Amino acid sequence: MQIVELVLLLSVISVLWLLWRGPTPWDRLLAYNSASNRVVVTVCLIAISSREVLLFDVAIGYAALSFLGVVIVSRFLERGGGHR
Amino acid sequence: MTVAGFVFMGLGAAFVLIGSVGIVRFRDVYSRLQASGVSDNAGLGLILVGAVLHGGWQSHDVALLLLLVLILLTNPIVTHSIARSAFVQQHQEGDED
Repeated sequence: MQIVELVLLLSVISVLWLLWRGPTPWDRLLAYNSASNRVVVTVCLIAISSREVLLFDVAIGYAALSFLGVVIVSRFLERGGGHR
Repeated sequence: MTVAGFVFMGLGAAFVLIGSVGIVRFRDVYSRLQASGVSDNAGLGLILVGAVLHGGWQSHDVALLLLLVLILLTNPIVTHSIARSAFVQQHQEGDED
């Protein structure tokens, strides 16, 4: 299980590098969505291996809030993105 | 049961690794969306199913199943929303130029 957590953290790092580099705002939005999904699953695995039941609620809340934020920012970019 | 959980988690980790390589190395927004949308659903879903199977039935597996349903419902919505936003915006900019 530690190997799976290590793989997830490495993929979070590589996706965050796309978040820093990405040419268009949609690349950054996609990278943010992928990174937050991976962080949610990593939090679940950490909660299982360390027997902290409270972290599952943290993971569910973070997943819901990240979905809401990504959809709102995507609608904002669809309407012009603030420079129009 | 534990062996099945480890098999599912290994498959999911392989999917996630391949998907992150695709996200970093592709050129276009739509190619990245395709890599992200397919491999994130498959990989994270498999990892969560493996975590449910791991260690038998416990009380916190309900939260894991709820999170699995949440991710499988919201990830296609997010992918569609980002793709629609990018297409509409770039189409308008191409028409003006």
